[in-house]
Amino acid sequence: MNATSIESRLAQPSWNGRVNSNKPNLSSLDRDADLMLRVREGDPSSFGLLLERHRGPVIHFFYRMVQNQAVAEELAQEVFLRVYRSRESYEPTAKFTTWLFRIATHLGLNWIRDGRNERRQDSLDDDGDGAARQVPDRTRNVEQELVYQAKLGEVRQAIENLPSKQRAAVVMHKYQELEYAQIADVLRCSESAVKSLLFRAYEALRSRLVHLA
Amino acid sequence: MECSSRQAAERIVAYHAGTLDPQAEAAFEWHLKACAICRQLSAAQQAVWSALDIWQPLPISPDFDQKLFRRIAAEERLRWWQRLSPVRLSWRPAVSLAVACAALLVAFLLRTPASVPTPPAPPQAKFQIEQVEHALDDMDMLKQIGVETTHSRI
Repeated sequence: MNATSIESRLAQPSWNGRVNSNKPNLSSLDRDADLMLRVREGDPSSFGLLLERHRGPVIHFFYRMVQNQAVAEELAQEVFLRVYRSRESYEPTAKFTTWLFRIATHLGLNWIRDGRNERRQDSLDDDGDGAARQVPDRTRNVEQELVYQAKLGEVRQAIENLPSKQRAAVVMHKYQELEYAQIADVLRCSESAVKSLLFRAYEALRSRLVHLA
Repeated sequence: MECSSRQAAERIVAYHAGTLDPQAEAAFEWHLKACAICRQLSAAQQAVWSALDIWQPLPISPDFDQKLFRRIAAEERLRWWQRLSPVRLSWRPAVSLAVACAALLVAFLLRTPASVPTPPAPPQAKFQIEQVEHALDDMDMLKQIGVETTHSRI
């Protein structure tokens, strides 16, 4: 496939894939599955649309999981590459976003398990990590900026201190706004197990972050 | 509601995540007015929720898509080559089968020589036998008429 041909056919869809209610967003679900089926039939522009819709959420998920923008983008590339590779065998048996985040979570948890984050921490100052690249807000004065950066550091540390599965559950719940059932599907566990994970995770976060109020 | 239970904490998390249905949300808000434990827990969860909002994602690299499409294009090229290799592999059993068939045929032919048509005896051999017979007849005739042959002398 010609890479530029895909790129040139990219459209500008609106991202509405986040699930933020008890009712599943069926139109979005059908749209994603339909696009993936079109990719299966050899339509590269549909892959471009899928990428456009899900690129941000996947990268942001990884960024909060691994706390490094470069690594997050690298892992996101791998996710979309896997999606593309699986196009021929794709069957819309689950929500597309569930399938997508299952791949992403698998990669993210493996990355954390393999201890690559420790090596990354060693070179944190050299490789332009997310914290260093965080652009200061011009509306804050120096003091406010320092307070903000200190709070941000605490939040990041609190998330990083969570066990990896709890971290994944919190990121999916808080930032990706996935439902319990979807998180359960992604983590391949029961809904009650997800609630238990989140209960413990938020309990830990409350104890570490409550003073930031 | 048992306010010290895990269920209550889960309800508070759901409340702040905005995932309670309107009826449950209203009931919970009513309960909060009367329950100090839940109010305290809810305030703590609200603090966490707000703190987590501080952490905003970074902008995505502008060349993210290009990199991905380059990788896909590279994989497609690789796949094109890989498509050929199964074809090459499919010849191997066919060649082996052909060799095996040829070997069986040769073995079959060697083990059944009768089936192979024998060439006719050369006419020269038949001619030599007749010559010998004639020679013997001539010798008998000469013996009868009293002529000794060199053969008998020997």
